[in-house]
Amino acid sequence: MGVIAEAAAWLSDPQNWSGTSGIPNRLFEHVQISGMTVLAAAMAAVPLGLLIGHTGKGRFLVVSLSNAGRAIPSFAILALALPITIRMGLGLGFWPTFIALFVLAVPPILTNTYVGVAGVDRDVVEAARGMGMGGGQILRRLELRLAAPLIMAGLRTASTEVVATATLAALVAWGGLGRYIIDGFAVRDNARILGGAILVAVLAIATDLFMGRVERLVRPRTASSGLETA
Amino acid sequence: MTRNSGWNTLLVAVVMALMLAACGNGDGADGGDEREITVGVSADFAENQIVAEMYAQVLENAGYTVSRQLDLGTREVSQAALGRGEIDVVPEYLASLLLYLDPDAEAGSDADENAERVREALEGEGAVLLEPSQANDTNAIVVTRQTADRLNLTNVSDLAPVAGDLTFGGPPECPERPFCIPGLRETYDVTFGEFRALDSGGPVTVAALEGGEIDVALMFSTSSVIPSRGFVMLEDDRGLQAAENITPLVRSEVLNDEVEELLNAVSARLTTENITGLNARVEIDREEPADVARDFLESEGLL
Repeated sequence: MGVIAEAAAWLSDPQNWSGTSGIPNRLFEHVQISGMTVLAAAMAAVPLGLLIGHTGKGRFLVVSLSNAGRAIPSFAILALALPITIRMGLGLGFWPTFIALFVLAVPPILTNTYVGVAGVDRDVVEAARGMGMGGGQILRRLELRLAAPLIMAGLRTASTEVVATATLAALVAWGGLGRYIIDGFAVRDNARILGGAILVAVLAIATDLFMGRVERLVRPRTASSGLETA
Repeated sequence: MTRNSGWNTLLVAVVMALMLAACGNGDGADGGDEREITVGVSADFAENQIVAEMYAQVLENAGYTVSRQLDLGTREVSQAALGRGEIDVVPEYLASLLLYLDPDAEAGSDADENAERVREALEGEGAVLLEPSQANDTNAIVVTRQTADRLNLTNVSDLAPVAGDLTFGGPPECPERPFCIPGLRETYDVTFGEFRALDSGGPVTVAALEGGEIDVALMFSTSSVIPSRGFVMLEDDRGLQAAENITPLVRSEVLNDEVEELLNAVSARLTTENITGLNARVEIDREEPADVARDFLESEGLL
């Protein structure tokens, strides 16, 4: 119980809430890299997933690649990316972490988007085609809308995983909440380690809840939403 | 007795016999053959294993039966093992051992002083510190060849006028450790422009130094990476870093004149330079510590 009390004391110490190493700044850094990564991954994965789901082409290759990316530990990607980013002049810290987190975020978004679009009831698509809608219109007005909840679910998964994993940035001289865990470990300050871990966990849960809210907002309000039940 | 209770009794007897045997084995060398010695390590890296192998091989050569325990991860583990008699001989580092035995002790840059303080701390503990070697694995301030040439750097004190424009990379505890940022400021008047928290002289640090992400790095003085990448280790001219000379620590019960002489003979041949070379063979060339140790002992006439 002692270390939990110490962690509580660390979390309530006003000194830890100010300055570059303070919780607000580390929180900001953490959210910054997580947000940018998920946004970039979404910009890459959603259009790609829409295309695959709509045309049915390239499915096997792309999904296999993305699942392979899921299997490689982010830590390993970070280690591999580091010498490359240094040689490219992108340095330590932000960019190697961004790469590792990007590879982590793409698979759930890509898979969910593709499944969401491909899973739209073919009868509904046929009906729309019969009404004279073209391919692009079908995609935008029908498939995208009906797949939106699944796409959001993918974004939610990706966001939560990225927030939890962005602690890795501290291994390569960057900031974020991982700083407390890594630095605490180096000086054997258990209060700091636990405090940092608690902050990351709380942020990850908050992210999940927030994204859950957004997910509910995009759910189409129809009796049957036109999606084949999985 | 029924058939079942007969088997039960046998089972209980077997289990009790096994338990007694296990308890008995815990005593290790106690009461056993005095020509049996177990050599352990005090930390989890190549250098420690190489020196441990050297101790083991010279003892074997003199007719002792030596067993090795070369994967004890940390000093806590190896000291506990030493206390229980599970290991008898271990290569130690002066300042780190001193601070482990007495966290309030003064660990300075003089090897003999540190050794004296270790011996004081070891009084009545059943272990004896032998003679320190010249191999000092302590913290090193390292720059690339280009940086050294550009800024004319040979000693750490040469950094004082230029440090403000330089980025320093070290382990995350640097800002809080006397051997690092506070010590550099107080002893050398060196305050770096920026600090980046990396790994203690590991691959991230090496990549950062080579790639120019940091100008100055903290590494270990016997790290094979320093010569192999052409880095320059700056001279600790004001003695900030504590003396971490590799020294044998031996359990009193197995210590005799012969063992003492054999191990001291190994220590007498070790230097910071040659141990760095041996580290390179294991860390870079991927040779086995035992082979590297044997080659060294043979070339020094100790085998």
